[in-house]
Amino acid sequence: MAGSWMGMWEGLSLRQLGELQKFCCDQEILICLNGPNSQSLIEEIGKALRQHIASQTETSKAMDVFSTYIEMSQNIRNYGLSRNYDAVTASATVIIASHPQGRYSISAANLVEKEDGERLLERIQTLAKLDKQELKQLYKLQLREAPLNAGGAGLGLIEMARRSSEPMESSLEDRPEGRSFFALRVIV
Amino acid sequence: MQNLTIEANQSSPSVIADWERGVITMRGESYPENSFSLYEKILDWLASYLEASKRSLQLDLELNYLNTSSLRAMIELFDAIQEASEEGRDVSVIWRYDTRNPRAAELGKELKEDYTFSFVIVAIDP
Repeated sequence: MAGSWMGMWEGLSLRQLGELQKFCCDQEILICLNGPNSQSLIEEIGKALRQHIASQTETSKAMDVFSTYIEMSQNIRNYGLSRNYDAVTASATVIIASHPQGRYSISAANLVEKEDGERLLERIQTLAKLDKQELKQLYKLQLREAPLNAGGAGLGLIEMARRSSEPMESSLEDRPEGRSFFALRVIV
Repeated sequence: MQNLTIEANQSSPSVIADWERGVITMRGESYPENSFSLYEKILDWLASYLEASKRSLQLDLELNYLNTSSLRAMIELFDAIQEASEEGRDVSVIWRYDTRNPRAAELGKELKEDYTFSFVIVAIDP
């Protein structure tokens, strides 16, 4: 699939850049990125994001967006490292956009092994059924039970669920080589 | 025993563990790539300190943000302090937060719920 498409590829036209800009404006996208995901990139994007949102609204909102972005992108980074993925396979796709009623949507996606993706989806569906009090209890339990030196996604997911003003949404799409494209969206 | 000094950067707090005074001070934000390697040093220092003397210990924190893996490691510090407190040691935590950041205040409050040692939350006006 990628091969035949690549054959027609003659480089990005400036017209396509205009289409991308239009798409981002229509969707009220603040930041859209797709590519290798490093700690220094995470820090710089996080900083820019926090400053921008803090200039528009209250600090607590900026911290919720920042924290969700950090957890998502560090989860993706740790996952890629744990699976020994190369930089391109470990890429993150991240979109942060304005959402109605002064809220923000933070979405991130990455390639995962299919069975890991299925486990994640199940975990997120379980978390979606819990109310804020149950999430707090689970969080406190996991804070003591999660392994110390592993960048486990478990705590990060609960943290995001606690900050999310709506149940988290996730999806899984089959990709070649037994992998899936896992996507997660949080509204804060 | 040596003092422990770690410089801050954007994603990692400054740490000063002062053996003479029995105070560990941490300031900044905590979301490094590998939080365990940072907190392991502090945990080791704390264990040596508590082992070597019967003196008091204070953990003085002003952390604007902690990611979940930093918080996971911080719990180990708090649990060690709780254990010392149950053995009758004079131990305490000060949690300072910037009043512009209510999330830091909420986190301090939530952490305090789980411990019986002196845990003082202090608001800092910018």
